[in-house]
Amino acid sequence: MQDVMALAAAAAIGLPAVATAWAQGRIGPAASAALSEKPELSTTAIILIAIPETMVILGFVIAVLILRGTG
Amino acid sequence: MMVRMTRVRVAGPRALLDATLRVLQDLEVVHVVRPSMPGTHTIPPDREAGRLRQVLEDDEAALRLLRASPAATKPPVEPVSLPRAAALAGRTRRRAAQIAHRLSALEDERAVLLRYQEFFSAFESLLDRELAWPDGRAFYVVLRAGAPDAVHRLRSSLEAAVHGEVELFARPLPSGETAVLILASAGVAARVGQLLNASRVQELPAPEGVGETSLLRAMPALRARLAKIPPAIAACEEERRALLETVRPELESLRAWLHDVLLVREARTQAHAGAHLFLIEGWIPRPEVDKLTAALQRELGPEVVVEAAATELWTRGDAPVALANPPLFRPFEVITRTLPLPRYGTIDPTPFVAIFFPMFVGLMVGDVGIGALLGVLALVLRLRSRPRSTMRSISAVAGACALFAVVFGVVFGELFGDLGARLGMRPLGFDRQHAIMPFLALTLALGVVHVVLGLTLAVVNAWRQGHRREALGRGVAALMVALTVMAVLTALRLLPHALFTPLVVAVLVAFPVLILLEGVIAVVELVSNFGQILSYARIMALGTASLMLAIVANRMVGAMGSVLVGVLFALLFHLVNFAIAVFSPTIHALRLHYVEFFGRFFSPGGTAYRPLMHWHPSAQGS
Repeated sequence: MQDVMALAAAAAIGLPAVATAWAQGRIGPAASAALSEKPELSTTAIILIAIPETMVILGFVIAVLILRGTG
Repeated sequence: MMVRMTRVRVAGPRALLDATLRVLQDLEVVHVVRPSMPGTHTIPPDREAGRLRQVLEDDEAALRLLRASPAATKPPVEPVSLPRAAALAGRTRRRAAQIAHRLSALEDERAVLLRYQEFFSAFESLLDRELAWPDGRAFYVVLRAGAPDAVHRLRSSLEAAVHGEVELFARPLPSGETAVLILASAGVAARVGQLLNASRVQELPAPEGVGETSLLRAMPALRARLAKIPPAIAACEEERRALLETVRPELESLRAWLHDVLLVREARTQAHAGAHLFLIEGWIPRPEVDKLTAALQRELGPEVVVEAAATELWTRGDAPVALANPPLFRPFEVITRTLPLPRYGTIDPTPFVAIFFPMFVGLMVGDVGIGALLGVLALVLRLRSRPRSTMRSISAVAGACALFAVVFGVVFGELFGDLGARLGMRPLGFDRQHAIMPFLALTLALGVVHVVLGLTLAVVNAWRQGHRREALGRGVAALMVALTVMAVLTALRLLPHALFTPLVVAVLVAFPVLILLEGVIAVVELVSNFGQILSYARIMALGTASLMLAIVANRMVGAMGSVLVGVLFALLFHLVNFAIAVFSPTIHALRLHYVEFFGRFFSPGGTAYRPLMHWHPSAQGS
């Protein structure tokens, strides 16, 4: 059972990490391009890049909760 | 905090318009706008302003070309004769441009000759080879970097074409290119030249202006020219300095005076001027009204009168926005200033940012060691920055974050991860490594406080703007969030269970009221509020990740076999952790403010308060 829980924890953080990387990989170049035209958009760019990180952060929290459940 | 504005009208005889504007400029408190009274018309811009702008352009261009420090300046002084001052500015600009052009040409020439000098050094060692073949011809070529077999291929081609009649010598250059000397007998020189052209190998020509076609023979002349350039540059610099010293006081005073005059003329175009009377309208901070009245009375007598149109309610949309935060909070304006100004009458979020931003960063970092390092970084930034600069503000924000990081480091008992625990340090609150759930609960509780505070500020904003229904809706939403959280806490037995039923009933009663006030969309917003509270879990996630990195770094000391290698790796890891601890918590604390907090209440679109004032060198343009 513990093996399955460990796998679930790994998936809980791994899958959102892939999704976050994919999203940031698309947002980053677009934000850079926008900043080269309008540097005043830096705040918006930071926000847009930070938004997908919520997935991996919440994934981390879920992973911790799963692992705590195994203990 | 936002300064409350009063709209004032200043009226008087037309002849006193310019004098009145000068008094307003001295006071530096009135943000002049077009009169709102019906039947008024403003003064069109005059031609004189265009001429003054041209003189100012000459003046500033001359000072820039002469490299006068932009920060220093002289007080404004009206020139005795404006045409003479304009002529001086124009003349100085032209002369400064000539000096700058000469300097630029000399610098360019020096750069080119220095480039040739690389080749001189390489070819010089081949000089005796050329002399040994007096009737032949020498070819000087440079092969590009990144083609290691180019010399070999060139030699093979030449040998195959003119066997025995050609010699090739190569020397590497510091730039990675290769200097090649090809000596050919007189009989095959033309053929070699054709082969080089066909191979697209360019011969290095002798620079123009030295009277030699052979590079080797041109060398002494080039060296002599190179030696003459530094004194020529020094002479130009001396000429520039002398000219600057001569004209600087006059040009700087003229620049300040021209800026001031143009600012007054610009304000003049906002004033109404009839046949006999003028009318100026503007915004002024409420406490300054008496000062304005007294100054105009003192300087211009009773003919010029001031009327406070009314201290405007926060609903006035066109009032300019001035922020006046206490010195402790002011540096945090650097965070709120990245967004557009809030609308007049809404809440300036700076004081709240000053409290929550360093708290969030401190909670995420939560380490005495990293906090102390961050404090040192903040101190260095402070020492290297000018007062009132953005960098000075950033240093103050970093200092506050460092302080919170140290305080939470003591609460969590962390000094570079678990190094503190190994040295006997004990947490005053809880240990983040093991008490993950309490840490998560703490961050979510902070999320509840922050989001409910945001909703409460939205209530105040809507109420001030006269949107009573919206204010009530936001208030009920805030209440529902608080009631739901309390109901969850009672269900978890963290609050007395007897409160559970009353709280659930209250939520059930508030829900239809909320929909009545805000419509069905309120349901979506309510769910989004809870989602955004969960977003504060990132504080726990980043804090725990930072702690784990530090613990891994500490374990490297014993895991690498050699203590020295282990310590080096541990230091490297701590350095990486410090870099992450500076960057990541900052980004996420900013995000929590911009998205989760400001999204509740922040209302952008304010006009900046720009009073008519004297020109300052730090201000860009007029």
